[in-house]
Amino acid sequence: MIRHTLLFTGYELRKSFSNPVWPLFGIMQPVLYLLMFAPLLKTMTPGGTTVEALRMFTPASMMMIAVFGSLFSGFGLIAELRNGSLERYAVSPAWRPAIVLGRVAKDMVVLVLQAVLVLVVAIAMGVRIGAVELVLVLLLMAATGLFASGLSQGLALTVRDENGMSQTLNLFMLPIMLLAGLFVPISFAPDWMKLLAPANPLYHAVEAGRALFDGRLGDASIPIAFGVFVVLAVLTTMWSMRSLSKIAG
Amino acid sequence: MIIEAQGLRKTFTTRSRKGTQTVEAVRGVDLEVKKGEIFGVLGPNGAGKTTTIRMLSTLIAPDAGTATVAGHDLLKEPAGVRRNLGYVSQAGGVEDTTSARAQIMMAARIHAVPDPGRATAEVLERFDLTELADRPGRTLSGGQKRRVAIAIGLVHNPPLLFLDEPTTGLDPQNRANLWERIRQLREAGTSVLLSTHYLDEADALCDRLMIVDHGLVVAEGTPSDLKREVSGDVITLRVDEPERAAETVEPLARETRVDDDLLRVYVDDGEHTLPVLLRALEERGLGLSSIALDRSTLDDVFLAKTGRTLRDAGADA
Repeated sequence: MIRHTLLFTGYELRKSFSNPVWPLFGIMQPVLYLLMFAPLLKTMTPGGTTVEALRMFTPASMMMIAVFGSLFSGFGLIAELRNGSLERYAVSPAWRPAIVLGRVAKDMVVLVLQAVLVLVVAIAMGVRIGAVELVLVLLLMAATGLFASGLSQGLALTVRDENGMSQTLNLFMLPIMLLAGLFVPISFAPDWMKLLAPANPLYHAVEAGRALFDGRLGDASIPIAFGVFVVLAVLTTMWSMRSLSKIAG
Repeated sequence: MIIEAQGLRKTFTTRSRKGTQTVEAVRGVDLEVKKGEIFGVLGPNGAGKTTTIRMLSTLIAPDAGTATVAGHDLLKEPAGVRRNLGYVSQAGGVEDTTSARAQIMMAARIHAVPDPGRATAEVLERFDLTELADRPGRTLSGGQKRRVAIAIGLVHNPPLLFLDEPTTGLDPQNRANLWERIRQLREAGTSVLLSTHYLDEADALCDRLMIVDHGLVVAEGTPSDLKREVSGDVITLRVDEPERAAETVEPLARETRVDDDLLRVYVDDGEHTLPVLLRALEERGLGLSSIALDRSTLDDVFLAKTGRTLRDAGADA
């Protein structure tokens, strides 16, 4: 089981890096956000400095990469559904969940690379974060990414159509993004949005990320976020593995 | 026997806005494939060929029936079946962005082949793919892709290979080339189950075959036995009054068939019957616009068993 999962992880990683331009573009995006969006936020932050803005925006951008980077990885599965390679793997002796788990694991590896890059840029720009907080931020990001990747693979195997998939993703992305306070913290929002926000899982991840970057290790948002995302990640990953049985459909 | 199947059935239910529809794709198929033979499943599109292959390859579960594939019970030991199977689907399963070598190597690793690198190099060599081995799948031509697909299916040296419509969409040269390679599999001792809707392909490649239509087996045997069963030769006439012409030649033929203005006359010995037949038509004053004498083909078998030609049946589906 583990051997097959590692096999597929390695295969997917080699595939991703066989043309290193695309992963590089993927990795560039969050860095560009930091460089170009944080200065915009400066005027809205209490302290009014770039470091203050970054402390607010770095955790948000990390959660953003985690969700939106992984949400699109299911598109690859649709292509493989169509060219028959998924069917071929399903008839092979491969442990079936490994076919999906390998992709999810690949997404995690790419995510960690991106996270490290973002952190390096943020630290270079003056943000400071403690070691414990750093590890927790990375773990939280991984759980968030796992949830998004599982969701994406499951959605791909259920929708089975690039068009339908991109429309579905678009429909959910904007409200999830705004209601999480990714760009503008929810504390600036009107009351009805404040009421709705806790229903959005990403909101908890962003809140917890901000608490960690502020060094508030005892903040209640941290256990809430971990609880929410561990459960969600397990659920979506199981759903994606189940959806594999529809390959032959 | 490398495959023994009894009473395979599969019904699909599709739900749409127009309501629920059920399609009986396979309605009770028995099948026996001997070790080392190339066995064909011939039939028009929608006859249930792919569904049959998908059931036998563990991809979908049959609604009824039992089967033993490569020494393992299909329902109880699907893992055993998968270990001993090479499966090349209609789509082929060649990935766009990855090289042939990487894909074959991956298949070898999944099958835990002892030396995946060597097995990959060997199968690449065998299918003349060594020079193309490191190009991404999307840059390959249709024929090259097919060869890669088969190489992927054979890298673990399975005793049994499934080929679902292997030459669909290929040009004549590539088809002939692929036929030759499939024949070589027989020499290597690999058993092959192949589906096709091409008569010439079934005729040229298969040791034995079965003809399926609407999910049922309508005939089974070696290509020559099946053709002999219908008759040796077929005379195709384009005549003004086919019904009357049919009546006229009836005593000379084993069977006659009218298809618009075409009259097909099945006879045992075409060369000798033809002059007699022409004289009979002339005596009755029946006008004739064209005539052809052919050895009977599997299409004639299909026509005799189903009342349709394979070409017409394909257009229905």
